[in-house]
Amino acid sequence: MLARTLSCGLDGVNGFLVEVEAFLSGGMIGFEIVGLPSAAVRESRDRIRAAISVSGYRFPVAKVTVNLAPADIKKEGTAFELATAVAVLCASEPKGFAGLDKTMLLGELSLNGALMPVRGALAMAITAAEQGIEHIVLPRKNARECECVSTVHLYPADTFQEVIDHLKGKRLLSEHPHVTYNQLLEAQVVVNDLKHVKGQSLARKALEVAAAGGHNMLMVGIPGSGKTMLARCLPGILPPLSYEESLETTLIHSAVGELCDGGGLITQRPFRSPHHNVSMPAMIGGGVKAKPGEVSLAHNGVLFLDELPEFQRATLEALRQPLEDGFVNITRVNGQSRYLSRCMLVAGMNPCPCGNLGSKTQECRCSPVDIKRYLSRISGPLLDRIDIQVEMDAVTLEEIESAREQEDSATVASRVLAARTRQRERYRRLPIHSNAQLDQRGVEQFCQMDEPARKLLRQAVERFHISMRTYARIRKVALTLADLASHDRIQPGDVAQAIQLRNVEGRFWR
Amino acid sequence: MNVTPEGKCLLWLSAAEVTPAKVDALTEAYGSATAVWEAFGKPDGPRFPAQAQDRLSRLHSQAAMDALLKRLDEKHVQLLFRTDAAYPPQLLAIDDPPYVLYYAGDAGCLSRPMVAVVGTRRSSQYGRSMAKSLASGLARAGVCVVSGLARGIDEAAHEGALEEGGATLGVLGSGINVPYPPEHTMLLRRIAGGNGLVLSEYPLDAEPVPFHFPHRNRLISGLCLGVVLVEGRLKSGGMLTVGAALNQGREVFAVPGRVGCQGSEGPHTLLREGARMATCAQDVLEDLGLVPLQAPKPPTEDETLTSTQRSIIHALKVEPMNVEELQKQTGIDASALLSELGMLEIAGLIEREAGNRFVLPIGK
Repeated sequence: MLARTLSCGLDGVNGFLVEVEAFLSGGMIGFEIVGLPSAAVRESRDRIRAAISVSGYRFPVAKVTVNLAPADIKKEGTAFELATAVAVLCASEPKGFAGLDKTMLLGELSLNGALMPVRGALAMAITAAEQGIEHIVLPRKNARECECVSTVHLYPADTFQEVIDHLKGKRLLSEHPHVTYNQLLEAQVVVNDLKHVKGQSLARKALEVAAAGGHNMLMVGIPGSGKTMLARCLPGILPPLSYEESLETTLIHSAVGELCDGGGLITQRPFRSPHHNVSMPAMIGGGVKAKPGEVSLAHNGVLFLDELPEFQRATLEALRQPLEDGFVNITRVNGQSRYLSRCMLVAGMNPCPCGNLGSKTQECRCSPVDIKRYLSRISGPLLDRIDIQVEMDAVTLEEIESAREQEDSATVASRVLAARTRQRERYRRLPIHSNAQLDQRGVEQFCQMDEPARKLLRQAVERFHISMRTYARIRKVALTLADLASHDRIQPGDVAQAIQLRNVEGRFWR
Repeated sequence: MNVTPEGKCLLWLSAAEVTPAKVDALTEAYGSATAVWEAFGKPDGPRFPAQAQDRLSRLHSQAAMDALLKRLDEKHVQLLFRTDAAYPPQLLAIDDPPYVLYYAGDAGCLSRPMVAVVGTRRSSQYGRSMAKSLASGLARAGVCVVSGLARGIDEAAHEGALEEGGATLGVLGSGINVPYPPEHTMLLRRIAGGNGLVLSEYPLDAEPVPFHFPHRNRLISGLCLGVVLVEGRLKSGGMLTVGAALNQGREVFAVPGRVGCQGSEGPHTLLREGARMATCAQDVLEDLGLVPLQAPKPPTEDETLTSTQRSIIHALKVEPMNVEELQKQTGIDASALLSELGMLEIAGLIEREAGNRFVLPIGK
């Protein structure tokens, strides 16, 4: 009369074990789910009833009560449906079922008895591993994202019928093979290669430095100067995602259901480019269910904001804290979620509303006031968090047609990796890992310049009226340039190049 | 402030923005401004448009006029009448010289030789740096640089003179208490607070209404020995100033620009029509007879430069270039080129323009 199965719930990006209990009793015939189910969970009653009948079993004629324990946490989503259906069936005909206490059951049911993918399968598989549960039966499309969790056996299934046959030992499901993370890494291909980007040597250099030091970057350029194309190349030159980073990132993507169409563990650094009408909850995370936003989906990767001044100001301002701290806290009445958000911000914008300011061929139609208003949409504090700013000229037809082969991403990536290794070594005793994360004290301590470099920078400060904040940022970028060139101390050439990667602010936001 | 009774009556007329032509006609008919004051309001007295009539009758009392003078005092705004010794004599020679000038700042500038540097608000970086370098050159030679306090070229001209610590004069198209454009309030203060002067023929709180500006332009040219047009379209405020200058018999200069740029239309047309060409302050000073002619100096190579830096500068002498073009011209690899450019920029030997193009600085 009583049966128990195991399933898993999702709180933010983390899973928690849920025990599904079904109890049949006499009395008024009915089907009730208790244990703080959300509307979607309550609705699942009809799907469960249909799936059981369609698969050739009889839905018990009794008062059916299902409890989802722990009963004090709100249950969201549809991942409990398979476990509930099995529990109900087992309560009415317990004969033949085995191993229900060692198997986690995940999946949404459709009316025809098919098993549908769920959000957050990876987090659930990890929870299972932590709780010592050895087997997981899950929808086939969720199998790939869990395949690196080596301590559990995965049994992908397509229908409810298959699951019952498996649990009763009639016909066992075949196990999904495990894959090591390195195998996944080897299989990946670079989609956007730097060798296809023609011209723009300054911006290419800026991109390399940004990747090497983890610096945020702003590209100012007329439409068609290749801002988006360059930005898309950034994930390809960043160091490869480590297994831990990949798990962090995949958990977030899994939790919003981006992997439901059969995606596996994420091995490429994510590249997110939300459109500029994105709302604040969509960017930062939030909404009723406190879901992760774009800044978290870009965790360990790149957040690309094209047309930066067109974004709502409040949305941009709200980005400051996640970019600084590397996580977002979302507080709701029934709890708090913390989502990681350590990403590089890459922004693109036009130099003026019409986009033609500084173009050789097109005339700018904007008045000085228009331009000022356009630029003032980006606040000083946000600009302060962007270490590298480059202005880009249009690429000429001649450059596009020239056959001159450009450096490919692999070559650049190897230099970036070397620079990052130097930084990791330097900061091994600190909680930071890249030059961009240096604070004021860190700049004083680590950005050592030789005497000519110091003199040159002092000269630059006087000539360009550089503020002390900008001064610190130039030193950080110069340190990254020194890392790329394997200099132990910052040399004059590094300072000079850092100035080249930074001068936009003086001309646009004086 | 000590103002003669006649002056007070002129101030009264000015407060209602009665035009100089009308005031001239009235004083001729009645004998003096005081007589106009006395006849005002009587059946056979002077007639004005409704708005001016209204304003004049509100101020038509000693108490109201004293309050007005007190307010001018508080704002440190001074007055100049045609009969004053300090009233610029060259203004008296134009068709309709203002009967009252409001000013703030150092009246000493008015006795200096003056040259106007004017141009469009929608200026190019080239135009602005030309205006700046012309203005600083003129200021160094002791000339007072006159302009209209507008955005773009005007602003650059004032800035250039201020940087040299020279005299500069801004002629407003609004009252001195209503700086326009508003973001130039600081600039206005710096001019009036230094050894410059801000001048207007409009009452203290006059709004910057559009028809003031072309009218104001006749003062810019009238004050000066010559007018330099830096950039402007064929139909622009700058061209109106030039037109006024020609009517007043002032010298006209034009700064050549790049053919095809909209800002070059005005100056190039003027040059075709026989204006004098101004490529540096020396050109203007020589043509106005303010300094003796000088033989051009042969160009000197900077000894401290490396050969790569020299080749970059050599390439930029032809035209402004971006990094790609420079790379092609000089054959230096990208990283090295970037650091050389950075050094040259820090040393002030090259400058950066919109679109990341490098140019040689003007006037160096």
